[in-house]
Amino acid sequence: MQFQVIAKCNTTRARVSRMTLAHGVTMLPTFMPVATQAAIKGLTANQMQALGVTLILNNTYHLNLRPGLEVLNQAGGAHKFQGWDRNLLTDSGGFQLVSLSKFTTITEEGALFASPFTGEPTMLTPEESISIQHIIGADIIMQLDDVVSSLTTGPRVEEAMNRSVRWLDRCIAQHEKSGTKSTQNLFAIVQGGLDSVLRDRCLDAMIARRNGVAGYAIGGLSGGEEKDVFWRVIKQCCDKLPEERPRYSMGIGFAEDLLVCVALGVDMADCVFPTRTARFGVALTHDGPLNLKLSKHAKEFQSIDESCPCPTCTDKTSRAMLHHIVTHETAGAHALTLHNVVFQAQVMGRAREAIIAGTFPDYLKQFFARYFGDAGYPEWCVNALRSVGVDLLEGTPAAKIVSGNGAKWEYAAINPQ
Amino acid sequence: MSTFSFSLQSPTRFGPRLGSVVLKRPSIDIEIATPGLLATTSRGAVPHLSRDHVRISDAIRWVNVSFETFLEHNPPIPTLQALQPGTSSASNPLHTFLGFTPNKHIVSMSARDPHDGRDMPPNGNAHVSVQSLRGVRKLSPTDWRSYVQACQPDIVFALSDTPFTDPQYSQKRLTKSIERSAAWLSSLLNLKSPPPPPKTSTKKVVNNTSSNVDTLIPTNTRIPPVFLHLAGIASPGARKAFSDSLLEPLSGPEAEALLPLSKLDDGVAGYTIDLVPLKSSVEATSTGVESQIVPLLVTSLSALPIPKPRLITATQSPHEILRYIGSVGVDLFDAGWVQKAADYGVALDFEFPVRRTSGLREIGHNLYDVRYRMDFGALADALRGTLSPQEDIEDKPVCPCAACSPVSPSTRIFHGHDTPLVSGEEEQSSPRHLPHYTRAYIHHLLHTHEMSAHALLVLHNLAVLDAFFAGVRGVIKDGEARWEEEVGRFGEVYDARLGVVEEARERWREVDLARGKGRLARERSKQVDVGAEAVVGVEVRIEV
Ligand SMILES: [Zn+2]
Ligand SMILES: [Zn+2]
Repeated sequence: MQFQVIAKCNTTRARVSRMTLAHGVTMLPTFMPVATQAAIKGLTANQMQALGVTLILNNTYHLNLRPGLEVLNQAGGAHKFQGWDRNLLTDSGGFQLVSLSKFTTITEEGALFASPFTGEPTMLTPEESISIQHIIGADIIMQLDDVVSSLTTGPRVEEAMNRSVRWLDRCIAQHEKSGTKSTQNLFAIVQGGLDSVLRDRCLDAMIARRNGVAGYAIGGLSGGEEKDVFWRVIKQCCDKLPEERPRYSMGIGFAEDLLVCVALGVDMADCVFPTRTARFGVALTHDGPLNLKLSKHAKEFQSIDESCPCPTCTDKTSRAMLHHIVTHETAGAHALTLHNVVFQAQVMGRAREAIIAGTFPDYLKQFFARYFGDAGYPEWCVNALRSVGVDLLEGTPAAKIVSGNGAKWEYAAINPQ
Repeated sequence: MSTFSFSLQSPTRFGPRLGSVVLKRPSIDIEIATPGLLATTSRGAVPHLSRDHVRISDAIRWVNVSFETFLEHNPPIPTLQALQPGTSSASNPLHTFLGFTPNKHIVSMSARDPHDGRDMPPNGNAHVSVQSLRGVRKLSPTDWRSYVQACQPDIVFALSDTPFTDPQYSQKRLTKSIERSAAWLSSLLNLKSPPPPPKTSTKKVVNNTSSNVDTLIPTNTRIPPVFLHLAGIASPGARKAFSDSLLEPLSGPEAEALLPLSKLDDGVAGYTIDLVPLKSSVEATSTGVESQIVPLLVTSLSALPIPKPRLITATQSPHEILRYIGSVGVDLFDAGWVQKAADYGVALDFEFPVRRTSGLREIGHNLYDVRYRMDFGALADALRGTLSPQEDIEDKPVCPCAACSPVSPSTRIFHGHDTPLVSGEEEQSSPRHLPHYTRAYIHHLLHTHEMSAHALLVLHNLAVLDAFFAGVRGVIKDGEARWEEEVGRFGEVYDARLGVVEEARERWREVDLARGKGRLARERSKQVDVGAEAVVGVEVRIEV
């Protein structure tokens, strides 16, 4: 990997970087759409390329089950299997083991779980996770970490943090001897729950291992914790992580979360939200999400967003037509998926432009003003951005502020018609 | 404004015929060689295809839109498109609303989905019962005309009084059916009768988006070329009577109203045959339903003018298609069955004429089947991908679909500080061919319920059917003897029992029912297998 920071924001911790991997260049900060099962929902690899996406994510846990390593090996890796010749990232499979299987138990050796096919007890060790990811062949691979929910408290959090560090050593060792280091890049995952002392110890330990890792992910978040705690952990990690390594915030996808994270110093993020919400009929826009299932859209002939460069909007697909087909026709889901993937890319692309131009704080203010409008700013966003020198309320002291986790959008009102 | 024409290379009444449909637009002529295909839509969209995929499919040149799903609203939403700034009824408003390209696509409009054979409440003297998502609606001939005028499709199917009730029709019912069908055709063609009264809800609706229009009266009163269903169901007598009524000289007030037409048939651009109601009203015998349907169609067409296109809906196999080409001289076939096969996970694999003869073959592959788990070949054996490995090429024609012969995008979107200038990457070169998507990949997508599988399969299946028709035309050109020979060979090589499609459909239904437990499953059981929106609705709604 070549990682080069090419510009920094003068106010916040945001930065623009060029990350060169075996399958091309990805400009950071970026959002990675999730192709859990080796396909972005309903789309083809070519379509994703045309959207200007250069880095997507596959899930190791899923690919290991289907199609399985034998098939992936025979296919020549996941890139060839899915016809994707740009960059690819895989997770370690650990998160899914814990979130999808009730019976997973963690031992020092690895994660013990019941095989979804046979019910047989099966062990996923750090070494095995890395070997599986070698066969999948992604450009960025993740260490196996000991995942605990961000709501967990007590000694288990510390245990998981310490074990994640030990497992990182095993992952590094496994990766070192693989011979794929020139094409595959191992990321560490910082754990430590919501406890700043544990986070700090984890950061120290993992930064000490920097020569064995190409980048750092911030794990153990997005599990239902208070947003005001979430951003503080992100900030703590970003402040301490080395400049010359990309930082990846896992499971982040709402536009406000993305921009706050970028301002705190995050370079990469992923989430199923934009593609999943598309299937429920929600289009993301700079004016907030639109739930196209609502009957108020039935007679609207304008596109989702006239300034959006996505195929759905440049084709002037009307909201009325989308209302007619979303949740009935897969073609409706495809139209919104195309749009939402582009929306995420635009949010990040405009951030890059603004950072380069030295106007990132203005971009943040404009984005939040338009996106939240009368709904009010989430208080945690205001707090988080203040911590890096941007006051969203500057000039608009009367602006509405919403406490808790923020505005309730149309996508929350899931009742159609 | 466009003009529609159809020409035959030789005036064949019954038997294989070569022709071409031409739609002349101010900017371009769209030509469809016949025998050829048209694609079907569901809720106005080609199932599983995003608009960019519709456009890269060369097989999609004509799409039919069943309008009934739009009758959930009054007035139907597409009728308001022409009132929007930048559109007018002179500029293909239906294309605009649905996203079809006037320079590439012929769009026809039928009231009902010809594949829907569910029982329906009886039609009346002045309405057809149609199915919308919110239940059964009544559609009157005058409303139909006003919708057609507002939407301006390239071709319209006249309303037909086809009973979807108990198939034991009485003589009286048959007489009524053909009389109504003729009367409804007449009212569609009658431009002198007053336009329907403005809809009460129109004012409110229109004010939403545009301030200067306050009624739904279309500015364009033109009726596009009319295709007419040949009525009479399974009764030769009724069929003959219906055709005769089209050829009778018009008289009295009707003649006056329909001037300059001298008989109803003068207002008809083409004939359609809907197989769903026909099949349900003839007895299945060992010789197959075709052997009973063919004589009925021959009866209908015996006296009608030869050089008008004949379009048949809801055929289910290449064998059936060959039969209707060979024995009747049908020109156009909808592709509903190959599109459906894509839902079930079937990649079609047949060719005409048959190049290789090695035992009995299936017409496709059920890619759900575990045998494809490690199969990295292209989707068909009969066709290859542009980049298929050398040893596999032989003399095989290329399948141009986006699954077998994908082409890299010629452009990409840039989002901000990511152009080649910044990234240092090479500029996007001209589009290049990419390796085919493999059976193993689609097998995987099917097993993981990924919708991309269906998009790729629809594109492929349409391409296979399109290539089949190209082969059919080539053989027809070579004359009667060659035709008979090749049809015979096709029947020997490809299994007409369609086991692979049946098996895949069964499996698809099981999986679908298992996944759509509860409310959706109950909806499904009401619709059996013919529901228009059933397939995909479930897929989208329950996938979380
Ligand atoms: Zn868009
Ligand atoms: Zn193909």
